[in-house]
Amino acid sequence: MTQPIKLYVRTADQTRRAELSLDPGSTGADIIQAAVDNWTLPADTDYTLVNTTTGRALAPGEDLAKAARPGDVLEVQPVLVAG
Amino acid sequence: MDETRTQRYRRHDLIDWFSQEQVAAASIAVIGAGAVGNEVVKNLVLLGVGEIDVFDFDVVELHNLTRSVLLREADAGRNKAAAVAERARELDPHVTVRSIAGDFWDTLSLGRLARYDCAISAVDNLEARLKLNQMCLIAGVDLVNVGLDSRWVTVESFPFGAAVGSACYECTLPDTAYARVAERYSCGGLRRRAQLERRIPTTVVTASIAGALAASTALRLGGGATPAQARRTLIDTISGLSSVVAIDRRDGCPGCAAFPDAPRVVRTRNRWAPRSESAADASLAELPLRLSDALITAYECTTCGPLSDATRYVNQRAAAFDDSIAICPTCAAPSVRVEIRDTFALGELMRRFGGSKVPVKFALAELDSGPICIDLEENPTP
Repeated sequence: MTQPIKLYVRTADQTRRAELSLDPGSTGADIIQAAVDNWTLPADTDYTLVNTTTGRALAPGEDLAKAARPGDVLEVQPVLVAG
Repeated sequence: MDETRTQRYRRHDLIDWFSQEQVAAASIAVIGAGAVGNEVVKNLVLLGVGEIDVFDFDVVELHNLTRSVLLREADAGRNKAAAVAERARELDPHVTVRSIAGDFWDTLSLGRLARYDCAISAVDNLEARLKLNQMCLIAGVDLVNVGLDSRWVTVESFPFGAAVGSACYECTLPDTAYARVAERYSCGGLRRRAQLERRIPTTVVTASIAGALAASTALRLGGGATPAQARRTLIDTISGLSSVVAIDRRDGCPGCAAFPDAPRVVRTRNRWAPRSESAADASLAELPLRLSDALITAYECTTCGPLSDATRYVNQRAAAFDDSIAICPTCAAPSVRVEIRDTFALGELMRRFGGSKVPVKFALAELDSGPICIDLEENPTP
């Protein structure tokens, strides 16, 4: 049976940070939704997730158990559309 | 290079990693002449880029002046691209800066786009970013996507021209972004009339940082970090924090999954009609085509039946209309069934249009030999 992995999530301005235990099958979209809900991030903005440890952006539906390793730091970044 | 030019670039010549010749040979399309577009064009001109084309449909308003370095009060009411290009030429009359007024979807052909070294997305909405991403992906032209708000700046590079199989803008785009776009439409493609436009405030601080990094990225100044890898830079202009991440191609990406290789672009006259009843034509008639623009295919009231003004709407681009056309002109009820599609069999398309112009930009098809894009624009610009 796959064990949950522990990693860290933070906002892009690094003012909020949390340790989390990742359930198998969790995706970037799940983490983003949890961050928006728990940290009351602006709901009228879209977000993406990056793995700052590996230096790679994560695809929305990507299985985080494959894209992150224990101790990695994930960052929630805003999708900016104004020009 | 004449003496004036030589004198102008004397300081650039002292930079060992800077090639004035390469910069002068570059041809860049700047899509959007707002806050970022102003900064990008200013930088490209001062660096000595050879050719710059600026695209924008919008007109200058006084509130634009707080973050638009090239605009003046006297420009209020003028087309933004025209005003920006004119002021940019004053910075350096030797640089070619052209303006193209209008929506780039209508004014920039795939053929013209393919001749640029890079397109810079300085537009102010997600839909335009999606469209430009698709065009650059098909045309095989590097895309630099620039976004900002009052605090943050992102500059993303997608090297479609340099790397086959590069990730695209949609590879990291969350589902919530598509949902936000979908909220703007009803009946699967008609613009909602009562859609509140969200205005995102920006300042010249974020615009100038974005414009500087965008120009540098587009020109690959210093050789670029890893030119064959799509990447994103995010900058917090308040704390100074920044990060750079690589963007990988996403399996099943709505933007690029259909193109494991760059599609072959075929230009054709936009007048399609069956030529013969040959077996080859008959098999081609079943070929599915995905059009760049969804079309209205049926328009009738579920109460009154067929409507006399259906010919105004059927076979036209759905995006040209809002949801007011779903109100029946006869019974005044919202009972009109508007059918909208973007995928057709080739034979159906020929029967529908019978030799007249199909009002779309291009059509995509999958052949045994790989994906093709049929470019249907008859008036390439500029």
